[in-house]
Amino acid sequence: MIHCKNLHMEYRSGRVSKPVLKGVDFTINPRDRIGLLGRNGAGKSTLIRLIGGVEMPTTGKVVRKMSCSWPLGFTGGFQGSLTGYDNARFIARIYDKSYAEMRDFLEDFTELGTNLQLPVKIYSSGMRARLAFGLSLAIEFDCYLIDEVIMVGDKNFQDKCKSEFFEKRTDRALLLASHSVDTVREYCTRAIVLHEGRAQVHEDVAEAIRVYEQL
Amino acid sequence: MGRFKEGLRVQVKVVQALTSRELMTRFGRQNIGFLWIMVEPLLFAGLVGLVWSFIKAPIDSGISLFAFVVTGYIPLTFLRQSFGRSASIFVANSALLFHRQIKILDFILVRILIEAVGAMMAYLFAGIILAFLGYFPFPTDIGALVLGWAIYVFCVFSICTIIAPLSEISEVIEKLVPVSIYISIPFSGVFNLASWLPPNMREILMWSPLVSGMELMRYGLFGPLVTPYYDLTKALSVPVVFLLVGLILCRRVRRTMTVT
Repeated sequence: MIHCKNLHMEYRSGRVSKPVLKGVDFTINPRDRIGLLGRNGAGKSTLIRLIGGVEMPTTGKVVRKMSCSWPLGFTGGFQGSLTGYDNARFIARIYDKSYAEMRDFLEDFTELGTNLQLPVKIYSSGMRARLAFGLSLAIEFDCYLIDEVIMVGDKNFQDKCKSEFFEKRTDRALLLASHSVDTVREYCTRAIVLHEGRAQVHEDVAEAIRVYEQL
Repeated sequence: MGRFKEGLRVQVKVVQALTSRELMTRFGRQNIGFLWIMVEPLLFAGLVGLVWSFIKAPIDSGISLFAFVVTGYIPLTFLRQSFGRSASIFVANSALLFHRQIKILDFILVRILIEAVGAMMAYLFAGIILAFLGYFPFPTDIGALVLGWAIYVFCVFSICTIIAPLSEISEVIEKLVPVSIYISIPFSGVFNLASWLPPNMREILMWSPLVSGMELMRYGLFGPLVTPYYDLTKALSVPVVFLLVGLILCRRVRRTMTVT
């Protein structure tokens, strides 16, 4: 389980400060598939960063009682000047996994072929998404934090993600930030709507989508 | 205790991974690779030593001027590199903070580690070459040499834990780093022995752990040819205070850091 307790987040730049989250409370249970909906700037990415421990909340607390991936998105987590393989080796080391196994899985899952020998900075966003998913699936987290990124993939990639998450790893939890209502409807069992710094948790995804569409 | 051990194990893994990543991004796999880390200190110490031995008369103390300059310059390059690379070190590495187990202190630790190993290799290399040419003695007291170096490295590390977060808080600090390195030269014992100074000056310089470290190193190398002045209590307590301040600052900066 992952508990978010009264999360407040305020970004500050000089004298200007912008409150993004104003008291967010919810729990991610094992096997939960949670869709995170909200308009641009509502704080979806911020919330995912806080849960992933990338940034710290201004007040409040995130209690993690299961392992949790880093936020999988377009940026972050990679060293652009290093090759795909070198990034994989680095990540295998810090997560204490065997590099050989990770490499095999990565080659098979990403289908990037010789691109893995090139620096990550020249990858397209779809290629980055493949790499990020490949690495995090090889590590086997209990909970995956996904920031928008499934949608950039092609059909083949989306099918792969579907099979990995919904056929092979049904026991994992998922927090999926997305603007695509269809994706959320298809993948999720619960949904959270972020609006004006607060989070409404809906057990009924259809209802959440209705609320989101009226914002 | 179990959790502490586990945490320590993870941090060791992280430091290993960061070190090899850093070596790879900085030096690549081509030609001599990571051996480049000792090239800069060697060139600096070698060339400056050479110039000095031409323009200055040899000192009467029986120490070769060349050896004296080399033993001062290599630690100084280490200090300069470490300070310089600590400024905005968090921003430069922030993509890695996506992985929770990587702490900002790891970045500083890894940089210092690499610089320190590079400086040690350069010292050894220069020592062997110069000894071969008859300019460098075999260390009289290896214990003192190592202790002095350890104090020096510890002190530089503790100052870096302050520079790194401060450079994040204010850009002015970042700009001030090169100047402050220059100013710190007289307080680092590079170009002189404490015994050459009047007693009241010496008293003041004992507050600098860098001077104590350098004196010990030179004593360890040249033995009775130098009269070392050092203050172990100050040499250890001053960096501990720096480190404490640095850790508090690092923690504060991390709490409000935006990671991109």
